[in-house]
Amino acid sequence: MKNKFPIYLILLLLLVGSCITPITDFTQVSSKSFLTVEASLSDQLGPHKVKLYLSADKLMGSYFTPITRAKVYFTDEKGVREDLTESSTKGSYFTSIKFAGRIGGTYTLNIETIDGKKYKSQAETMKSVPEIENLLTRFEVQDNYAKGDPRRGGFNLYVDFQDPSTTGDNYQWYWKHYERAYICETCVGGSYDFRTNSCVQPRIPTDVTLNYRCDGDCWDITFSTDLNIFSDNYLNGQRITGKQVARVPYDGVSPYYLQFEQRGITRNSYNYYQGLNAQVQNNGTLFDVPAETRFSFNVKSTTNPDEKILGIFDVYSVRKKIFYIDRTQVPKDETPTVRTIQGDTFSCPPLQVGCKDLVQCSEGLFRTPFKPTGWKE
Amino acid sequence: MYYSKCNKQLQENFISNCERMFQNLRFYSLKNLLICFLILLSTQYLSAQDREFRLPVIEGKVTDSKTGEVIIGASISLDFKKSGIITDSTGYFQMYMPAGEYIIKISHVGYKPFRIKTQLKADQRLDVQLDDITKTLEEVIVSSQATRKDIQSPSLGVTLLSIKAIKKLPAMMGEVDVIRSLQTLPGVSSVGEGSNGINVRGGAIDQNLIYIDGAPIFNPTHLFGLFSVFASDAIRELELYKGGVPSRFGGRTASILDIKMTEPNLEKFKLQGGIGLVSNRAMVEVPIIKNKLSILAAGRLSFNDFWFKLVGPDNIKNSRANFYDLATKIFYRPNKNNTFSLSTYVSSDFYQVDSLFSLENVIAKRTQFNYGHLNFSGRWNHYFNTKLSVDVLGVISNYRTRTYAPDSVNRIELTNSINYKNLKIDFDYNPNEKHKINFGLSAVTYNISPGTLNQNVKSRIATVILPNEQSLETAIYVDDEYKMSEKFTIQAGLRYANYLNFGPYSHRQYIEGEPRTTNSQIGVEEISSGSVEKSYGGFEPRVAMKYSIGENSTIKFGYNRMKQFIQLLTNNTTPLPTARWKTSDSYIKPQQSDFISLGYFRNIKENIFEVSAEGYFRQTNNILDYISGANLQLNKTIETQVVSGQAKAYGVELMLTKKRGELSGWISYTYARSLQQVRGDFPELQQIAGGNGYSSNYDKPHTVNATVNIQPTVHHSFGFTFAYSTGRPFSSPSGLFQLDNKKYPVYETRNNDRIADYHRLDFSWTITNPSLKEKRWEGSWTFTVYNIYGRKNPYSVFFKSTPAGIKPYELSVFGAPFISLTYNFKFL
Repeated sequence: MKNKFPIYLILLLLLVGSCITPITDFTQVSSKSFLTVEASLSDQLGPHKVKLYLSADKLMGSYFTPITRAKVYFTDEKGVREDLTESSTKGSYFTSIKFAGRIGGTYTLNIETIDGKKYKSQAETMKSVPEIENLLTRFEVQDNYAKGDPRRGGFNLYVDFQDPSTTGDNYQWYWKHYERAYICETCVGGSYDFRTNSCVQPRIPTDVTLNYRCDGDCWDITFSTDLNIFSDNYLNGQRITGKQVARVPYDGVSPYYLQFEQRGITRNSYNYYQGLNAQVQNNGTLFDVPAETRFSFNVKSTTNPDEKILGIFDVYSVRKKIFYIDRTQVPKDETPTVRTIQGDTFSCPPLQVGCKDLVQCSEGLFRTPFKPTGWKE
Repeated sequence: MYYSKCNKQLQENFISNCERMFQNLRFYSLKNLLICFLILLSTQYLSAQDREFRLPVIEGKVTDSKTGEVIIGASISLDFKKSGIITDSTGYFQMYMPAGEYIIKISHVGYKPFRIKTQLKADQRLDVQLDDITKTLEEVIVSSQATRKDIQSPSLGVTLLSIKAIKKLPAMMGEVDVIRSLQTLPGVSSVGEGSNGINVRGGAIDQNLIYIDGAPIFNPTHLFGLFSVFASDAIRELELYKGGVPSRFGGRTASILDIKMTEPNLEKFKLQGGIGLVSNRAMVEVPIIKNKLSILAAGRLSFNDFWFKLVGPDNIKNSRANFYDLATKIFYRPNKNNTFSLSTYVSSDFYQVDSLFSLENVIAKRTQFNYGHLNFSGRWNHYFNTKLSVDVLGVISNYRTRTYAPDSVNRIELTNSINYKNLKIDFDYNPNEKHKINFGLSAVTYNISPGTLNQNVKSRIATVILPNEQSLETAIYVDDEYKMSEKFTIQAGLRYANYLNFGPYSHRQYIEGEPRTTNSQIGVEEISSGSVEKSYGGFEPRVAMKYSIGENSTIKFGYNRMKQFIQLLTNNTTPLPTARWKTSDSYIKPQQSDFISLGYFRNIKENIFEVSAEGYFRQTNNILDYISGANLQLNKTIETQVVSGQAKAYGVELMLTKKRGELSGWISYTYARSLQQVRGDFPELQQIAGGNGYSSNYDKPHTVNATVNIQPTVHHSFGFTFAYSTGRPFSSPSGLFQLDNKKYPVYETRNNDRIADYHRLDFSWTITNPSLKEKRWEGSWTFTVYNIYGRKNPYSVFFKSTPAGIKPYELSVFGAPFISLTYNFKFL
């Protein structure tokens, strides 16, 4: 039961002087770290990633301790084994590029740490996922936000598809957006040091903000962080229409590039994500459900059954769609909220020897030098 | 007597008194006279009039209004200052004063003070009769010791409240509210402002049985917990049984709240009502046949949602929130030995909100909610003779909720309802002065429709119909209050309750030795209609005894066992109005509580004050909690979602009450704990908080409540309430982890931290009949300030995920003083 409707309370409370205030002097009454497994396997070509780390015991200023040099492998129902190797990013293990999960295949994740602890996941069967039939974009104004607020105008993305006649189909939607990046680094109160590849501040910070251009093709990446899930409980075998899967900002009129994924997830993944959603949506109202973390959900320790483990082994299949959203079809009185870049763009004074003003576009979570599939200039 | 106190007079009111002394030279010693004379000279106060040495005199006699006896030593004050003058042995007083305007107050311990404003020109006679407050009605709304029937009753933990006095307490938004007023009593609390019910002595909300004229109320609040559902005008009195529950009541493990509606006036037409910020009220009493038949109707209608349109931000402009309730009563007394009454009660709430919906996996933009009661109760009282009488009660109570989204293809309509019928026959038999015997029997049927989605609705969303659940709860009981001696009274009772769960019912079977999940289900046994699926039963002993130590002190002891066959399935901090009720079956066992309490009571100063101390302990078995991520709505296999455990509550309540006088009220301190332990049948998989005991959501160890009502005149009354309690528990994370670059808090255990303490002061000022004229129409204004010093009492603490980490936030419900004005009227 989701039972989330804080708005009732909030709407009443707004009238009678309710408020939400950040707590500045919060002290944690307990702190503890747990082994965390963030593992996924899909029917797409690899590399597929398994991340192992110790969770943070603090709420702010936290860091995760990677678990390195572990032996990590997938096995399937036929006994075929795929070993993962640790990359240069400590605690991240990858399959080969050629490895892909098979719809209907049943996979188990195995982990052995260097101190001899062994972990094993439940066997998860990869479910199929129907094709995305239609993606509908509609400009919608959220008139609770004033004009000029970037949250006001936006394009809602709705998905249509046919749910198969079998029950127990669970879905998740995921999107990734790429945008040309021209600025690759911004240094506030200092300048870029090309030897250490980072911003450095003098002892007394300057009052300027310097932007450094990229040294070549570069793209900024944003992706969905909300867990958007759905189950066919009440709509089994129906055509599912009008399910909102994303909201695209109205921050320009140029076509908006989107990689969109419709995933067929397991019952376990659905239950796990639904529990996380309930937790995230708890916002202090009367109708909150108890905040609970589900430990050792589908990954358990075989050496110490009492050990509490965080995270999940997520097995899913994917249908992808790459497309551009036309952002010109909007009512006349709505204008885009264009982001402005603060500060000055740094460029070398003419004829200065050894001066560099272009920063390398390095591959990462939020930026890439590689042109995304289907990109049109 | 008064002439011996010149020194004091000098300090306090020296000028007028010295002037008087000059007129009464014979009374004063030379020394005092000299002092006074010097003062008078130095202040050059001698006027032309003074020189004549004759000021006007006020004199009179003070007597008891009832007995006519003189009151000796009553003190007279002038313009709010003590004059030092007191009445002599004949109740006589005399004061010489310069001409002018004075406010005179005459008071004496145990009597209601007398005040008068007078223009003194010439000699004046002022004979005053004072009312003995020990003989007046109790002003205060509660009495922890007394039940109305008999002050000497041995029952313990029973509180009687008069609605008249509740109305004098400051009310939030000017709405006189029974549930809120109850929370000023020791042992009664709630999760927070706006929670959907009360917690009595560490019990859950569904462990209270609330009756209005014998019909149960399944959801006692309007507007998601902000106001209680009872139209206060139509209530005569409330009895709250926090402990010592007599054997005629049963079916809940924590408390019984018995609300009785006013009996309509058999002689006179009466109309009363009020206009307030939240709702409008009206009540009318109409005699149809004088002294035989009359009817009453009391209604309340809210119009509050125009505020949303008027001052609400855009996002709630389309929201709607309305409620109404209507209570009627027909009362018929054909002769001295028979009375009949028929009460009905209807309540309804309606909400509409944008884009939020409580049912998972349904696509809807706008959702509407609707819920309410429809109750009937009929009663026949017959007096066979002075020793024996019978009370026959028939009740039908229906509570239904509806959630609907009128969206095009994805239309939904979800309903659930509970249908309750009760027949009860209750005898009172008093064979002699020593015995008071009460016995009877009761039968209750439940018919619950736990959830119906889209029945006869054209929509893409599936139709889901959970089968109805039907059961029968019968009880037979007897209670004897036996006065063994002047000092010792014992009330011993026994109740036998029997419960049957009937088919049609699908009894699902699960693999033995494994937790019940949809995967471990191995078969279904269909129980046919009318067959018993499961039965429970047992005795519930009830004992209360009273021992008097001297005339004014008593010690009481009580023990109760109570069973509960119906529970509310809810996983939220406070239940939603749409939460599902579930009667016991073979998987969900009835709750049982054992409760003991011990109390000491003492009356002081001829019953003006009462002090009490009560301690209690309760153990409850088979309470419900839920597996993580439980899905309770429209779930056909609810037994796979619940985990059972036990609850423990204990506490000490101390209270001082001033029951009579110009100033009345009470102050109480409570130490109370409410703990739960849930391990389930498979602790390693199901236990909550590691199988250890944890605080319930409403565990607030320290509570202080104070209520003061000051009524200096008939026209003005002032009320103050103060509340303090330890903050309620919440679950505090022990760290964080990350999935797909979003951070999530890690909760290792439940309710391991507390929010900040709660405290609040409210004030109300009621002006009755401001025109001061005797008219048939009597109006009054009530001005209320809730949370005077605007404390931002946190309701809860919650956590938000940001890229930098998990940030804690505090939500306060009423973060500022809330002022309201209500107009009430009476037409007699």
